[in-house]
Amino acid sequence: MASQADEATLIRAAQRGDGEAFEALVRAYDQNVLRIAMNLLRSPEDARDIYQEAFLRVYKNLHAFRFDCSFHTWLYRIVTNICLDHLRKRKVRREEPTVVETPDGLLDRMEQVAQTGPAADPERHAWNRQLQERISSALEDLSPRERMVFELRHYQGLRLRHIGEILGTSEEAAKNCLFRATQKMRTILGEFV
Amino acid sequence: MKCEEVVEAIPLYLYGEVSPATEEAIEHHVAGCAACAKEFKLRKAIHSALDAHEVSVPAGLLQECRGELSRREMTPRRGWLHDFLHDGFNLRIPLGAMALIALGYFAARVTGPATDGPNQASLENAAVSSAIRAIETEGSGNIRISLDEIHRREVTGRLDDGNIQRLLLEAARQESNPGVRVESMGVLKECAQSSPVRAALLNAAAHDPDAGVRLKALEGLKAFAGDPAVRQTLAQVLLHDDNPHVRIETIDVLTSQRDDAMVGILQDVFQKEDNHYVRNKVRNALEGMHATLGTF
Repeated sequence: MASQADEATLIRAAQRGDGEAFEALVRAYDQNVLRIAMNLLRSPEDARDIYQEAFLRVYKNLHAFRFDCSFHTWLYRIVTNICLDHLRKRKVRREEPTVVETPDGLLDRMEQVAQTGPAADPERHAWNRQLQERISSALEDLSPRERMVFELRHYQGLRLRHIGEILGTSEEAAKNCLFRATQKMRTILGEFV
Repeated sequence: MKCEEVVEAIPLYLYGEVSPATEEAIEHHVAGCAACAKEFKLRKAIHSALDAHEVSVPAGLLQECRGELSRREMTPRRGWLHDFLHDGFNLRIPLGAMALIALGYFAARVTGPATDGPNQASLENAAVSSAIRAIETEGSGNIRISLDEIHRREVTGRLDDGNIQRLLLEAARQESNPGVRVESMGVLKECAQSSPVRAALLNAAAHDPDAGVRLKALEGLKAFAGDPAVRQTLAQVLLHDDNPHVRIETIDVLTSQRDDAMVGILQDVFQKEDNHYVRNKVRNALEGMHATLGTF
């Protein structure tokens, strides 16, 4: 990551309309943004939409960034808000099925994005598949906010204090959210693992 | 600690989100309580199973997203003018005529009548950027302005062209623009078999202040994971880089080759690493090498 001074210079340049500086900022963070979106929504199409929407919002609102928090926190606030909206919409429409019909027959979209590696042992493969389905179902069971806190802590490795800052809440509230998420997963996965 | 307190604290313990005192108390309790040890083992197994559920970004998606974004709004200050030129067709002609009249009026007021004399200032602003160094007023009423000009040039050539490589290496060292350095690394990694290029990739992986550039350099070094010089530098990156994504990529490169000399370094990282995901990666790597997590 660029040092804070370098990043501040880039941000100021981008605020003045320097396209190259804006691009450099995008490139410093966009892999992580895409990784969060992909992992949360498990769909390349949705991840692509989130990427576009997030950086367009950054572009449109960068002039209002006043260095009150780190750029990382500010950007993640935007990204998490967009992802939360997507997750809430998904909850409302009761989840898209992972298996969709295509001209070539039924296609499991999870297979397209999920685990790599050959399945040398069919029994192990079947068990792994069942486990992944259970985990998917456990994750779907979480509220959008619990899912977000879990994503940021478990997969992105952010500290709860930072997560609280991003989500506009306290470290304690983020901790409670993570606790609830792990309890729900314990209930669903406990007998299977 | 009581059993129920321990059970409640285990998830946060696994994320390293409890105080050192609580951590110690949990470990002490679990060591002497079979029921809590069983719960601890189960929670740990769930934790590891969830690690494996992370989806990787499909190859090419990042590039597609970047391309799409740059085609949309990456050119700054385009907004209203772009909208006007594309959508404001009905008003374009009359407004354009008014703008031309206004421009002529103001230009005449500002510049006065045109002169053809030799001292007339002439600046073409295409592809030139300039910095004013000095301003002097002469007795004749002229103003003398000294400026440095930088002219933009375009150079085209293939990657095996020495000049192109030289310019790319130059770009890789350009301190002011990480975007250019990322692009440069992206191209140079295709010819990393050349020693100067590999040296540039190693230098960027170890010292570039921008994580995006370091990640790009690591991509280029993947194919040379067996080279001792590369491994030595990457071991240092793993120990000292402050960005977890860079450390994760470095682990991937280093563990793509079986090398028992890595065990000590990985154990060292495992002890001091506070990022859960990186620790997990290291643990998996050590387990894959049948090595213990600590040095004991």
